[in-house]
Amino acid sequence: MASSANLPAGFADLEGFVPEWVHPDAEHRLVKRLSSEMDDIRAFYVAMLERGEAALAWLRDYELGVLPPEGERLLRLMLMLAEVAPAVEWYGDPRVYDGFPVERLRYLRQISDTAPQLQPGDAR
Amino acid sequence: MNKMARPPVPGIGITARYPEIGTGPVDTAIYHEPAIYEKEMKAILRRSWYMIGRIEQVARAGDFFTYFMPTFQQEVLVCRDRNGEINAFHNVCSHRGNVVEHRREGHSNGLFMCRFHGWSFDLEGNLARIRDEEGFFGLDKTCLGLKPIPMGIWEGFIWVCPEDEPYQSLEDFLGDQGRDTAGYAWGACTKSYQTEAEVACNWKLINDSPAEVYHIPVLHPHSAAPTMMASGNVMGRLLDVRIAGNHRTNSHYSVMGEPKPVQKLAYFHAAAAQNVARDDLDYEMPVGINATRSPHWTVDLIMFFPSIAFTLSAGMYTAHQVWPMGPNRSIYQQRIFVRPARTAAERFGQENTMVEFRDIVMEDFSTLERIQRALDTGQIRQFHYHDHELALRHQHHVVTRILAEYDRELEGA
Ligand code: FES
Ligand SMILES: [Fe+2]
Repeated sequence: MASSANLPAGFADLEGFVPEWVHPDAEHRLVKRLSSEMDDIRAFYVAMLERGEAALAWLRDYELGVLPPEGERLLRLMLMLAEVAPAVEWYGDPRVYDGFPVERLRYLRQISDTAPQLQPGDAR
Repeated sequence: MNKMARPPVPGIGITARYPEIGTGPVDTAIYHEPAIYEKEMKAILRRSWYMIGRIEQVARAGDFFTYFMPTFQQEVLVCRDRNGEINAFHNVCSHRGNVVEHRREGHSNGLFMCRFHGWSFDLEGNLARIRDEEGFFGLDKTCLGLKPIPMGIWEGFIWVCPEDEPYQSLEDFLGDQGRDTAGYAWGACTKSYQTEAEVACNWKLINDSPAEVYHIPVLHPHSAAPTMMASGNVMGRLLDVRIAGNHRTNSHYSVMGEPKPVQKLAYFHAAAAQNVARDDLDYEMPVGINATRSPHWTVDLIMFFPSIAFTLSAGMYTAHQVWPMGPNRSIYQQRIFVRPARTAAERFGQENTMVEFRDIVMEDFSTLERIQRALDTGQIRQFHYHDHELALRHQHHVVTRILAEYDRELEGA
């Protein structure tokens, strides 16, 4: 059951989406999108979009690699928002336009949700 | 938002610049006939170079990755040795043929140990240790190293050739196209996603898919089309198509449309890990990218025939790569390269870019399989190309020309 400690202070209104919409990587987020009803996707999208600017303002203060667990959850909710955006904004359907079975797609490489990323100029 | 007045939509007349390519309908046999595919395998596919990764994947001595090339059923092992050199080998153990390294990527302590009987090879590919060597019969370890695969590096991309003796050097293979596009910020986009899907179509259809934008207003009505529509380019015309030997580049024309709500969050509040506006480039655009220097340029599609094309904008790029699996079967791989994110907000920008490009590409796949059915059942025997589908006509021309040359080569032999 979601407790108030799941997300950073000020985001209690999004607690209801934890843990259902928190997934560990892009591959699992796509699976979640494909297995969800449009009504549920829309409800998530609308609530998250409303808080998107505030969430990004919070996340901007953290470099990757030092996010506290509640911050990681907030980031993963935002990454899920990116995943469902085309379903709502482009397709009105979890699947892509013109019906290609998205399940046939496989991920070979992903970018870690939370690990620090080598910056230009960083020593190798 | 782009406040510029609507620019003039590009005109017709690109194909006429290349009279040798012609303007008539083309025969579709090369898209489905098994005998032609067999010949393409020898005359084109085995004679080409294939991009399998980037140098950032093997940044430190001991870093490695493996890569399976489905077309050739060959697996490659790439690693960096202690002298800083990048080496590429067939991932085949010289004892009895198991793979030497079974993981997709990682860091080696200096030895790759085969998981079958435990023979070990060092980062230069030398056979370092044989378990219970006493039981063998005078083996010469110096002759039993890993077999190198021809490898070359261009702009940080690692390319290999499936033939022991490449038909041409990587430099000659890339040709003017390679020279004219070197210097783009290829190495700045150090983070990447990669996906793949098997698509029931000929490899050339995969290449055709992003190579014309005539289809965008119709097949991508909600995703890619709005930008094009905002520019007044309702027919889906290109700025330019330039041919460089077997390779070619399309320059796309549009102005920025109104972003969708989540795009707005990514573009304006995620500090743009993914996109750099043309106005604040941190590198000089090479002559081969936006070659006409149009202010209405958005992206180039840079094709290295036969198997890889880059869709690139000023600040990020994706690679479309096809692995032919037969006359009507291909594996499509998409890599999406973005700049590294520093903050957690920028991480959201990366994800948004990936999702957009991934979904738009998948919108194309169903048509490819339908075309292939029409080809396989003999329902479409000719293709008719629009002036701005020149890239497709050029690919047809190149394939037909190489196959004819190959026939003459065999006659002469
Ligand atoms: S096949 Fe590798 S040790 Fe035997
Ligand atoms: Fe398309």
